[in-house]
Amino acid sequence: MAHRVDHEYDYLFKIVLIGDSGVGKSNILSRFTRNEFSLDSKSTIGVEFATKTLQIEAKTVKAQIWDTAGQERYRAITSAYYRGAVGALLVYDITKKQTFDNVQRWLRELRDHADSNIVIMMAGNKSDLTHLRAVSENDGQEFAEKEGLSFLETSALESHNVEKAFQTVLTEIYHIINKKALAAQEAARNSGPPGQGTTIHVVDSSDAGSSKSSCCSS
Amino acid sequence: MIGVGGSDWKHYVRKKSHVVRRRIRKGIPDCLRGLVWQLISGSRDLLLMNPGVYEQLVIYETSASELDIIRDISRTFPSHVFYQQRHGPGQRSLYNVLKAYSVYDRDVGYVQGMGFLAGLLLLYMSEEDAFWLLVALLKGAIHAPMEGLYQPGLPLVQEYLRRFEQLVKEYLPNLGEHFSQEMINPSMYASQWFITVYSYSFPFPLALRIWDVFLYEGVKVVFQIGLALLRFCHDDLIKLPFEKLLHALKNFPDEAMNPDTLLPLAFSIKVSKRLEELKGEHEKKNERSLLQLSMPISSSNLPIQKPSAVE
Repeated sequence: MAHRVDHEYDYLFKIVLIGDSGVGKSNILSRFTRNEFSLDSKSTIGVEFATKTLQIEAKTVKAQIWDTAGQERYRAITSAYYRGAVGALLVYDITKKQTFDNVQRWLRELRDHADSNIVIMMAGNKSDLTHLRAVSENDGQEFAEKEGLSFLETSALESHNVEKAFQTVLTEIYHIINKKALAAQEAARNSGPPGQGTTIHVVDSSDAGSSKSSCCSS
Repeated sequence: MIGVGGSDWKHYVRKKSHVVRRRIRKGIPDCLRGLVWQLISGSRDLLLMNPGVYEQLVIYETSASELDIIRDISRTFPSHVFYQQRHGPGQRSLYNVLKAYSVYDRDVGYVQGMGFLAGLLLLYMSEEDAFWLLVALLKGAIHAPMEGLYQPGLPLVQEYLRRFEQLVKEYLPNLGEHFSQEMINPSMYASQWFITVYSYSFPFPLALRIWDVFLYEGVKVVFQIGLALLRFCHDDLIKLPFEKLLHALKNFPDEAMNPDTLLPLAFSIKVSKRLEELKGEHEKKNERSLLQLSMPISSSNLPIQKPSAVE
């Protein structure tokens, strides 16, 4: 959800971390929020949660990130967390082709359960494992373009592009929110409160001649 | 009380079940734990009735979940010395038990979280014993079956979380109110409690004591421990806003994790009756919604329902 609050931060954006089990979602989250990485981390059961506050175009934005268990059966629990999310980081593992092939299913999952305007960043994680690479960066890029997603290859281990991935998603969300706010203001100005605008107009036109003439004559 | 290999157990437990319960609540001696767990869970009987079955499952069958299991092996108790060595005896046993179960019950297969159950059991018994204990729990040899925690849709997780939320509202009304105001629900912090029976992130000394009671008395203690944790930290939790609250619910202080404080507190919270009632209420509600689902079809044919519409 995108809330505006007076203190601490200007915006609060809810983001979900999704993707197959074992692609590195929890390490991406710990790298981003605590600058930590653990080679021997436990598999996530259910959902985990962390936040980070950062600056986006002179505004303070707080990202509220929900990290979800990746195994398909857990979607019974985790899909409830898509509701209200304005952004998603959809992660696959560049060394496991299957996790990339499954991105399509995750997108369907988002379409079914998340807001249709959700901003999605696809992240090909474990880019440090070049000798085990099974998905080329080009394939990732092409797929992302076809589906209209942002895309980056990341390495939670080497701290590569993790911050940037979140920053990109959050900035995009910020722009959308801003544009919407502007559009709303614009719309409000143009249409105005109905009735009022027209009465003013009527009064104006009827009085225009006399007031103008008096103005000119004086 | 136990006898050689548990031979006197059944007799004793029938005659003095309250004594057994009291002793188990005080903690099973570590050297007897493995054996007693098998006796109180009913897994020993399953093992004796099914000779050779485990070996068959491990050696001759293949499972669709093999890759999923392998992926999680090194992510189950990664900092425990028994499971640290890559492809070491601990990891191999864990793999075998989980694979065997995924073949034995293809409907459940392998679900993340089961590894923590198996991992805890393997610290106290052989692979085959651990496998049959897993079967006893999931299939309900003594208590209500747990398989619904892992079946597609995780129906029992949802059901237990719903009941837990209701208990919090009733037993800790102020905290329950605070939770709803802060929009905290149990799926955010308690799924692991039920799915892994506190073995996922709780300190071993506490997890083992909970398991002693869990195997003898059933899932009730999982609710009691949860409520006891909330009650113990009540005065702190009630002051915290959403984020800090969620953090606190995943990181209880050491004092709260002391089994000699937490367990007595948990036992003092009586939940059996209410848990049964809540189960009943839910079933009734389900029946009603099933009825409602079938209603429109039949009601359109029933002139009694809308007499004016019939000409």
